[in-house]
Amino acid sequence: MASMDTSTARLAPKAARAPGSLGTGDILRYALASIFVGFCLFPLYMVLSTSLKAEADIFAFPPAWSFRPIWDNFNDALFVFGGTGVMPFLLNSVIVTAASTAAAVGLGAMVAYGLTRFRIRGGSHLFFFILSTRFAPPVAFVVPLYLMVRQTGLMDTHLALILIYTSMNLSLVVWIIRGFFEAIPVEIEEAAEIDGYSRLQIFFKVALPLVKPGLITTAILSAIMSWNEFLIATVMTQNKAATLPVYLGGFSGSMGLEWGPYMAVGAIAVLPIMIFTLVLQKHLVRGLTFGAVR
Amino acid sequence: MSRNREAKRAAIVLVSPAMLLLFALNIFPVLYAVYISLHHWSLASPNPPRFAGLFNYQELWYDGRFSNSLGVSATFIALAVLIELALGFGLAFLFNRKLRGLETLRKLSLLPVMAMPLVVGLVWFYMLNQNFGVTNWVLSLFGIGAQPFLTDGTLAMLSVVLADVWQWTPFVMLVIFAALQSLPEYVFEAARMDGLTEREIFRRITLPLLRPAILVVLVIRAIDAFRMIELVFMMTKGGPGGSTEVLPWYIYTTGFLSLDLGYAAAMAVVMIVLVTLGAQVFVRKIADPGAA
Repeated sequence: MASMDTSTARLAPKAARAPGSLGTGDILRYALASIFVGFCLFPLYMVLSTSLKAEADIFAFPPAWSFRPIWDNFNDALFVFGGTGVMPFLLNSVIVTAASTAAAVGLGAMVAYGLTRFRIRGGSHLFFFILSTRFAPPVAFVVPLYLMVRQTGLMDTHLALILIYTSMNLSLVVWIIRGFFEAIPVEIEEAAEIDGYSRLQIFFKVALPLVKPGLITTAILSAIMSWNEFLIATVMTQNKAATLPVYLGGFSGSMGLEWGPYMAVGAIAVLPIMIFTLVLQKHLVRGLTFGAVR
Repeated sequence: MSRNREAKRAAIVLVSPAMLLLFALNIFPVLYAVYISLHHWSLASPNPPRFAGLFNYQELWYDGRFSNSLGVSATFIALAVLIELALGFGLAFLFNRKLRGLETLRKLSLLPVMAMPLVVGLVWFYMLNQNFGVTNWVLSLFGIGAQPFLTDGTLAMLSVVLADVWQWTPFVMLVIFAALQSLPEYVFEAARMDGLTEREIFRRITLPLLRPAILVVLVIRAIDAFRMIELVFMMTKGGPGGSTEVLPWYIYTTGFLSLDLGYAAAMAVVMIVLVTLGAQVFVRKIADPGAA
């Protein structure tokens, strides 16, 4: 930390003040940081506040800063809006998210372990191939995937989304977990081998429990990616397996009047994720840069 | 000997399921996209797909809407990523101080990063509404009249950029902040003992040491900005007059509204090629263990 202070001292030149007291530089720092945080939080506040407003308050100009909160919008969003409300779509989102996350973490951990602990010819090429899939733009893949899903009869099924999301999240899981496996001393596994464990037993009973923090981190990240995904879902599902973003997107263009329930759906989609973001925040950099920055 | 065989079998069991999945849903679709792009392949037409050679690619060459979408994408990426980098860089230094409460503020600022992009588009669409939007209320406080944020070409582009900047600046800040925190202390001590001024230390030590992290976040952001479609879907639908029609939006509408899959696939192939070139930078960086 001391090094940080030296490297940034030029931003706060009055470093020679008494310890514990705030210089003008610090006050400026707090002020700018607060403005930035306000900017970051305000739209989220708008989602929540609008979802609690009556129609007259939603269209008020100047904006209605104080208003009487109502729950009608959430009721409409959950059970009424668009005929069924968001409930069936919410259920689909939960199913697809849970299944694709479990599959991605499971398969990803297997590959990561296989490639770090076994000498596989071309193993590092495989690692980089997996990494490169991170950059595959969904919109470029959605055309061939659409035909593949149609030809296999998987249109509007959970399975189609689960398989595609699993493949999309594999690169993340493999690259994060790989770092965790590499940090395990080989001696632990060698000891297990001497105890007569098979290689697969070592993986499941020794290695996997040791990388639990990595599994949790990647599971949360994969789940958020699947939960948020819109484009693939809107192309591959219509109603039976349609997820929450498909429901939300379905109203765009015709939503001139229904801001309240619409924002309530938005709040339902976003607020649980906010909690996970705070939980994750220590691992967010490592997770989102694939371990390139920690 | 049998130990070796067992290890080999274990490796295959561990690696092959994921590889099969990636082959089916990653490699094969690329080949299939190329195949589709070489055909007249319309879902609207009753005729089966017909081989077309490079016809779709020739069409692309003369399609003003395609070149427009490339330009719009380039503008969007350049504006969004540059603003995010500039702000994120400054903010990383801003938060890089041991002051009470600053850490909490930093954590709170991260909340936009994981928010559903569709909802981000929704809320900015609401806030930028010309008649009752809060942005125009803020402008009115400064005596500025209501602006047509989403119906004027230039403003619409800037609005989409604003929503993207809102979501991703905290992420850029966090990455550079993390890199700053990991810089070794002794380097700075040595530099100061050598009599370097703080400005020289910043220019000649801090900045070069941050370069790998900046490069990583730059490439990630540029490639992800290229694929962005949700904000356009919610806020502008590509309009007005194509001013926010990024390439993904053009591909999506061609494939799934005009149902011309052959043409959409040709654009998809172009996009995959462009992204692959960009991703090379990242892969090379990450391949170097001393990257960051």
